[in-house]
Parts: sequence; structure tokens; C-alpha cells
Amino acid sequence: MDGSQDNSWGDTGSTWRGLGLTDPIKTVEDKWLLLPAFLKVKGLVKQHIDSFNYFVDVDIKNVVKANNKITSDVDPRFWLKYTDINIGFPDRNEVETIDKRVTPHECRLRDITYAAPIIVTVQYTRGKKIVQRNVNIGRLPIMLRSNKCVLTGKDEKELARMIECPLDPGGYFVVKGTEKVILVQEQLSKNRIIVETDSVKGIVQASCTSSTHGGLKSKTYVATKKGKIYLRHNSIHEDVPIVIALKALGIQSDKEILLLTAGNTEAYKVAFSANLEDAAKLGIFTRHQALEWIGSRVKVNRRVMGPRRPAWEEALEALATIVLAHVPVKGLDFRSKAIFVATMTRRVLMAMDDEKMVDDRDYVGNKRLELAGQLLALLFEDLFKTYNSNLKTAIDKTLKKPSRVNEYDAWHTMQFQGDHITSGFVRAISTGNWSLKRFKMERAGVTHVLSRLSFISALGMMTRISSQFEKTRKVSGPRALQPSQWGMLCPSDTPEGEACGLVKNLALMTHITTDVDEEPIIRIAYMLGVEDISLSTGAEIYSQNTFIVNVNGTIIGLTKHPRRFVLQFRKLRRARRVSEFVSVYINHHHKAVHIASDGGRICRPIIIVEDGRPQVTSEHILQLKRGELAFDDFLRKGVVEYLDVNEENDAYIALYESDIVATTTHLEIEPFTLLGAVAGLIPYPHHNQSPRNTYQCAMGKQAIGAIGYNQLNRIDTLLYLSVYPQQPMVKTKSIELVGYDRLPAGQNATVAVMSYSGYDIEDALILNKASLDRGYGRCQVLRKNATLIRKYPNGTYDRLADAPFDENGQKAKKYDIIQEDGLAGVGERVDPGDVFINKQSPTNANDNSFTGQAATVPYKNTPMTYKSPVAGNIDKVMISDTDNDQTLIKVLIRQTRRPELGDKFSSRHGQKGVCGLIVNQEDMPFNDQGINPADTIMNPHGFPSRMTVGKMIELLAGKAGVLNGKLQYGTAFGGSKVEDMSRILIENGFSYSGKDMLTSGITGEPLEAYVYFGPIYYQKLSELEFRDDDVSAANQTLEHMVMDKMHARARGPRATLTRQPTEGRSREGGLRLGEMERDCLIGYGATQLLLERLMISSDKFEVNACQDCGLMGYNGWCTYCKSSKKVAQLTIPYAAKLLFQELMAMNVVPRLILDDA
Amino acid sequence: MNMNDDQQSHPNPAGAGIPMQAPRQEMEYLCADCNAKNEIRAREPIRCRECGHRIMYKRRTKRMVQFEAR
Repeated sequence: MDGSQDNSWGDTGSTWRGLGLTDPIKTVEDKWLLLPAFLKVKGLVKQHIDSFNYFVDVDIKNVVKANNKITSDVDPRFWLKYTDINIGFPDRNEVETIDKRVTPHECRLRDITYAAPIIVTVQYTRGKKIVQRNVNIGRLPIMLRSNKCVLTGKDEKELARMIECPLDPGGYFVVKGTEKVILVQEQLSKNRIIVETDSVKGIVQASCTSSTHGGLKSKTYVATKKGKIYLRHNSIHEDVPIVIALKALGIQSDKEILLLTAGNTEAYKVAFSANLEDAAKLGIFTRHQALEWIGSRVKVNRRVMGPRRPAWEEALEALATIVLAHVPVKGLDFRSKAIFVATMTRRVLMAMDDEKMVDDRDYVGNKRLELAGQLLALLFEDLFKTYNSNLKTAIDKTLKKPSRVNEYDAWHTMQFQGDHITSGFVRAISTGNWSLKRFKMERAGVTHVLSRLSFISALGMMTRISSQFEKTRKVSGPRALQPSQWGMLCPSDTPEGEACGLVKNLALMTHITTDVDEEPIIRIAYMLGVEDISLSTGAEIYSQNTFIVNVNGTIIGLTKHPRRFVLQFRKLRRARRVSEFVSVYINHHHKAVHIASDGGRICRPIIIVEDGRPQVTSEHILQLKRGELAFDDFLRKGVVEYLDVNEENDAYIALYESDIVATTTHLEIEPFTLLGAVAGLIPYPHHNQSPRNTYQCAMGKQAIGAIGYNQLNRIDTLLYLSVYPQQPMVKTKSIELVGYDRLPAGQNATVAVMSYSGYDIEDALILNKASLDRGYGRCQVLRKNATLIRKYPNGTYDRLADAPFDENGQKAKKYDIIQEDGLAGVGERVDPGDVFINKQSPTNANDNSFTGQAATVPYKNTPMTYKSPVAGNIDKVMISDTDNDQTLIKVLIRQTRRPELGDKFSSRHGQKGVCGLIVNQEDMPFNDQGINPADTIMNPHGFPSRMTVGKMIELLAGKAGVLNGKLQYGTAFGGSKVEDMSRILIENGFSYSGKDMLTSGITGEPLEAYVYFGPIYYQKLSELEFRDDDVSAANQTLEHMVMDKMHARARGPRATLTRQPTEGRSREGGLRLGEMERDCLIGYGATQLLLERLMISSDKFEVNACQDCGLMGYNGWCTYCKSSKKVAQLTIPYAAKLLFQELMAMNVVPRLILDDA
Repeated sequence: MNMNDDQQSHPNPAGAGIPMQAPRQEMEYLCADCNAKNEIRAREPIRCRECGHRIMYKRRTKRMVQFEAR
């Protein structure tokens, strides 16, 4: 708000609050400032961190509480109890060190795990006494920037001291030196009824996946079969007729069953009646009969001990604990479970009657996102249970020993429990395999290596959501854009190809909830006048104005005044009596009020509107600007609230303040937040054809630029860095919020949109040679080469050797840079073939029977040699120790690359192209001032079909920005206006249209058309194709920079088995003359060429063959005929010889019939 | 890091007509944390004398390095 308007608040007169009738209605300007305030506390990667914090602070204690007691089978007086669990701060796992603190950066360099000790407090009996002690039971990898991380709450200076980048998002783990992310997993929501139809088979089914704390998961169906309804569950062999199921659950009378399922609706009654008949036919009338019926069909997994229980008891247990496990059964009160089943049945009846009553699986409100914390909690529970059972056996073992000198102290046993928990965590996170037999969970590829190709690729990875189900299915539903994902998931950022639409990204303002305790919520609901469900029958439940109240999918009661109830509940939430992440909404189709407090819901903050006025005022924003308010204060004041997808459906949200009408309940904070962090880089995305934005989202992750403030201190396997990165001339607000302006990946190239030579067709770009000389597009490639100086179990060890001298006393050329310590000198140039780590290993390293002097063993050379065809420089040589005291050596080798023909470039609008020609500056077009404007020439044919108007506006805004020395904005749904840009151009003596006169650099004549030129932000792409589902992502990489692709071979290595040339560039392989090429040559009749290509230049081999028996011999001797008479020599491919021998090994005799050619 | 304890696989003809540098002195390494000069001995844990940090960097070569200006 500007001040002058603000002062008008004071002077009142006859007008209302100082405003006349004709004065414009004041709007809340700069309300987007809430966004940076929000990002400070939540958003982007905060969901990962919040989830991890929740696990460490709350969930881990619940897990321990659920498994807190160990008793002994041997000594009944012994017990051990966990009273508390705490996670420390990450430290070095060494005894000697004084300063135990460890930074993530040290872990990355030393290939160790960033982990903190897990300390439990135990109480146990020692003799007659009860002792309490703290025990370290293992180490938990710590998420960066979480509560337990040393980086949290540090300012930029402190972070710099720890060699950490302040813009690094955190939210990942460092395990064995590699950065691992647990991606967000998308799942169908638990404990909710989902109704589906299969129109082909004519089946309607309501399903509910129950999941309780303790990890038990089971799916229950209520489905139709031949017009009748059955309850189906894995633990029951046969489908249970629904009436029998309900009778078993304690609803005996048919009248009550009918009321609870069909209510008073005639159509439902008719559809349901057959089921009642069915049960009567089966002769089941009472609860006991029903239980007997079910009991004889329950899958029993009995323990051996104990007598067989009667069938009805089995049924009772199965119904109480396995079927719909999440619905609580207190004592043997099955009422609420019965009502749940009845509700499922009613939903089936409704869907049978009206097809529209089915649920949409793809609706975002029916989905839950699973985060690192939940996965870790499950893993920890599994590991902890195993740990406890191991501990119990160990305790039993010692207690069994008849004579003990001292009284038994369980603490000592706990000290020797190994590192089961530690190694379990490390293994799971570093391999990504979550195989928890206990919870029937078998998931691979949960974790991924954090992609550090660019800052944006790392950030993009943190917001990525991978879908659990249906990757190969050809249905479009799950892949399609869902209207309900507005503002929650980015509509642009999704990969192309097979994972299209299944891998999604979070939008800028989304937050993912963690669990909130539902007990107090239920109490509040009752307090607000909800009638307990167990007191009502179908007549009340389905009566005209009654709404069912659900908490997390479980029915708790009824209300007659849903609107009032919901409003009051929201008021309590806005007053912060309930957690802000609890959502409440009315579902009119099902006549139900739903309260949700479970974790994994997607939500976002929205401004509350009351009486047509947004509750956030300019006053608030002013205070925010002054730093007097933070985002949490807005929540506390009840002017902003979080809405999840379901509650969003119950709100009327205005996009802009001017759109507010009487019924409006909320106001959007800022429309551009519907895009994600990666799509937020695109200037004017609202002017582009939508696929172009999607393409840019994929390419932005490959752009070479700055990676982090600590980029030069990092030693990554492969690091691409731009030498002169620039922040874009045309920024967006997202760019500033994300920090892309501080870690950019690209340069502002002045682009002339014109045709030039023929080397610019098909999206090729012309580059100005002088620009390249000045450093445009120049980048550095840093590659890690690591080795361990190992100590072997048999006492021998690797060593580093000085460069050897030949007989003349000279060092060989390839050892030129090796210094006395056996390592290359830092800064030295490495040429192809040079040795940079002169390591030697003992020849008997794996011989464990060796007992002699370690110093006397013979050594063999095992050096590291430089393989790349282009020379590099040694950038860094790091020496350290790993966890298990092996010396680790990392050598970082740097190459500098200048753009060359074939390198790939792209603007921020999904317009990629390769460099087609590099032109001398004197041949480039120039303007009347003698200025030679273009770094790049782009062919105008790129525009009409792609419709990337955003790029044209970017050029215009960029040009205006250059001329008046200001950065312009291209924020989505806003940004600098074309009209203003044109005005700036005119003021600076340029054409308003952005098109100006140029003179050809080749002919010296003026160009016949005005040329549209100006700065466009261009990215240089490394195109490292990262496959998501691949473990060995590093090996699968395929770079698109010419230098990385260039390959030719005349002679070279051959495969050992076939003696044919090897395959692939990495192995210096041959270029295959394939089947189709062979066909061409056959068709042409070039037999000699064929012979040369397929045999002589490949795997020719001289064999001796016997003309008599047709078998192969050797040295002119046929071993079969025992004669050398008829042996002839001939040349065949080695592969053919191999085939013959392999056939012979399989008892097939191939015989050669020789003839004169 | 001298791990070639006198018995090299290739016999070292010391003083055999080649311009040897002055008798080998220990290589110096810099602590990544406090920049103190350190020596590293074979099969001893790598640890800074001053601060106990576990990471060392090798010092830059004293030889002249020429870059190609392209």
C-alpha cells in the first residue's frame, strides 16, 4: 500500500470511513507477500522436513510405546521396559574425537552417513532392584535441515562456515556419502469408502483399506454379485452375504438391517430385499447362526497351542480385529462396525440405483501422500521389533545359564546387540528397498540419488510425487489433469513419455499434513451437538435432514444442523482450538459431514473472506513488510487458513479481490502459486501453449549453471558448472522465492530472430564466435575419481607408489604428474592415458590363509588412469578416512568446455536447438550504431507452430529492461505489460515493436526486413537422461554435449568370447554394420564388401577342417580321423567356430562340407 | 602419503644420472577445516594435528602450469 492512500483512513467526514461513494474500493495490494512468509515456515521441501520431524518427535515414541516391554521366558521376574526414546544430534561415530559434531558436508566428502544416535531410556530388573539407564541402540540417518540437523536455524554466515549452501533445500539424507531422497509417494486414502463400478461386468463395489497404527493393513469389499450384495475379505474363504455379515455384527432383526442399509427409500428397499431372502433361505436368523456360518469359513492361522475354538468365536475374532480393522470395537460392542458395513452397503445400493454416485479414484481429495517420516516409522518399527526379539533371545540365553557370579545386568546384553538398527536404516535408504515382511511391504526404488545436475533439478526432485500404482496400464484417468489438483499440484511439471501424468510435482504453496490426534476432535464434535451414532437406528440416520458425521472415515454420530456444525467447527479451528490442519466439510451427495485429521492430505493456505471482505487487510500486509507479523500470526488471527482438497470443494474461492461476491468464502493468495517451483521459472507461461511449459519443466532440470554456494567444495561424481551464469533479465516472483536468481543456470543471450545461412534449419542456432570468446556458454565439467587404499583382512594393504623410472632413469610420460606420494600434483594437466593415482595392491590380497610379513608380499600395479579423450586438470586431491578406517582418496578432475557445433541450447519456453554454425563476429548482422547485437540467431520458423508467445514477450521485456537498466517481471498471470515495454523501447530510440533495422554482415547491405532482436535467457543443456526407476542412474546417463558423444574407431578392443569388436562408446566399441545394412549389401551384390565387414575386419579366424568328417582339427591334424590327409585350412568368423563348438557341447554335430570356390 | 616403504616394485636407481630433486621431504597436506600444514604417514589415521579434522587436501603443485587460452 502506498502511504497517501493510507492516510485517508483518518479524516472522516460525512463519508464512510473517510471514503466517498465514488472512491475506488481499496484492494489488498502485495498480498502475495504472504507467499514468501509462507515459504519461510512451510512449503516446497518443508513437507519432507515436517514429516521427518513428526517421526522423530512424536511417531518414534508411539512406536516404542507400542512395543515397550520385554519379558523373559526363563525368569518370570525379569522385565525390561522402554520408557522413552530420543534422537541425538548427528555426531562422529568415533570414540577418540573431542569435537563430535559432524557437518553434512564432511559426510559427503568422507563417504559416511549423516546419522544421529538413537537413545532409549530403559527400566529393568537387576536382581531385586529396578534400574533406569540410557542405552544407545543404533543410529538414525538424519534428514538435512530437520529438527535434528546441525544446519537448522543457522544463518548464512554459519552455514558458510560449515560449507553448506543457504539455498540448498535440505529434506534429503546423506548415506554413505551420497545424497538420497525419499520421494513423496501417492496412494489412495486409507480408512475411506471408495465406491466403484465395472460397467462391463455389472459390478458395484465399495472398498475400504483399513490401516491402523501398528501397520496392519487389510482391504474389505462390499460388492454385488448377480444382483446380491456380499461382504468380501481376504481372511474369509467365501463371500459373505451381507445380511449374514450384519447379523453376525449384532443386528439381528431384518427390519433393522433394512433400515440401516436401505433406509426409507423405496428403490433401495427393493434392491436390497433379495439379500434378506437369501439369508432366510440359508436358514440364518440369529446372530449365533450367522457367526457359525462365517466362522466355518474364516481362514485360521492358529498357533499350535491351545484347544480349538468353536467356529463362532473364530468369526467373532475375525470380525473384531481383521475385518475393517480401523473401526474400533470396544468390549464386544460391534455397533459402530455394523453401521460402517451398513453404510458401505448403502453406498453400493446408491451406486446401483444411480451411476453417478460412484467415487472418483483420481480425485485428489481421495489421495494421500506418503512421506519420508511415515516410511521411516514403518522401517523403524520393523527393525525395533527384530531388535527386541534378538534382545529377548540373548537375555533368555544368559538367564538360562545356571550359575552366575554377578547378578544379571541386561544393560551389558544391550551393548552387544550389534548394529542391526543402524545397518537396517542405511541399507534401506541406500538401496531404496523397503522390504518389511512383518507389514507385508515389499517396495523397491523408494529412494533416489538427489540429482545435482543443476540447482533446479535438485529442487524439482524434492517436490516430486511418484505414483504407486498402474505404470503400464493404458488408462488415461490417472494421467489426466484433475480439476481438483488446482493449486495443489503443478499442472505443467510432469515428464513426457511413460511416466507422463503419473509423476507429479507439488505447487508452490502446498503443504502435506501430518497426523493430528483425533480424540479431542471427536470430543469437540460431541460438544458441538453431534449425537452418538450407537444410539440411533436407520430411521434416524437416513431421515430427511440428518447428516452423518465422520471423523477420519469412521462414523461417530449424527447432526441435524450440518451447516451450523461445520461453521462452528471452523470457528474453533480459526481460533486455534483445533489444529489448523484439521479439515471439515459437508458432502451433500452422501449427506455427511467429514472431519479429517489424518496425515498425507494435500492442503494450501487461503485468505478467509467474511461479509464480502477479505480478512487480510492492507494493515496486515504493512505489518508483514515491517517484519512485525509472520505467517503463523496470520493463522492465529484467523485471517488465513489451510484448506485441503475436500474442504476446498466446500468453499467459494475468489481468484481476485474484484471477483468477490456475497457468497465468497475465500480469496486466493496469489494465482501464480498454482505452478510449481520448476514451472515458476518460465516467464509469461500464461502466453505459451501448455505443452511448451511442460517441455521447459523437463529441460530446466538439465540446464548447466550454478549448483550451490558450496559447488566448488563439493566432490560429486559428475558436476557441470557454468563459468559465467547470469540471472535472467525477465524474472518471475517464483524465481526470487526459490533463489534461482542467486543460483542461475543460463545466460541472457541477445537473440536475433532471423534466418541466416542454411545452418539454422530445424531449430538449429547460429552462435557468434566473439561471444564464445567472451565466455558465452562456457562450462566446466568436474569429475570425481575415487579409490580406497584398503587394508585387507589377511594383514596386507594397498600402497601408493612413486613414479617408476625406466632403464634410462626417466619417468615415463604417463607418470609425469605423479609426485612422491604417488598422487598427481594439484593443478597439473592430465592428458589421456596419464596415471593420477599410482596405487599398488598386494597380489595375494584375497588369500586369507596368508600369514607372512605384510611388507614382503609382491605387489601389482592397480593405478587410476585418465580415460577421457580431452585433457583436464587436477582440481583437487582429497585424502580422508571412511567409517571403517580405510583411506579414501578422491581426485577431482576439471575440464573446461566451450560451446561447439552440435551443443544443445534452449530458451525457457521448451524451444531447444543445437548449435548449427559458429560465425565470426564480422559476419553477423549489425545495426546503425555499429553495434553487433546478436549472440545467437534463431530461425523464425520456430514460432508459428509452437505458439510460444511468452518467448516473444520475454524478448521484448528483456530488451526494455536492458535499455533502462532494470530487471523486468514475467510472473505468471501478471508480469510487465507489453504496452509498458513498448513505451520504454520508444523512449530509448528503438522501435516499439522490438523490430529494428539491421545490416547484413556478409553483404553489407541492409536486411530487407526489420529484425526482432533482444535478450532471451538461454540455457545450455547437459541432457543427462536420468531414469527414475534405475538404481544405477549414473551408468544410464547419456549426455548430449558433443564432446561426450563423439566417437570413432579404426582398431580397438574386442570382446573376449566372440573376438568381435566391443559395443558402445564407453568401451571404445566398433560401429555396427547391422542386419538392415547387410540386407542392402546383399541386395546390391557387394559380396567382397560383405565379407570384409562381417569377417575380415571383425573376427576372422583360421581353422583346420577335415574334408572327410567335416569336423575341426588343429595344426593340420584331424583328431577324429587320426589323419592329416584331408585337412584343409580355411577362414571363418570366430563366432561361427564358437557356435560349432557350443553345438558339439550340446551333442549336436555340425559338419563342414568343403568345396572349391 | 608415502606408502611405498623403501621396497618399491620398481627398483629406484637413486642418483643414476637423472636430475633428482633434493632428497625427498615429506609431502605437505592442508587440513580442510583449519588449513594447518600436516604430514600423512602410511597406515595412520588421517587427522589434523591442530584441530583433529579428518579431511586433508593436497597442496597445489609447485610446477608451472600453462593453460591453453581458448
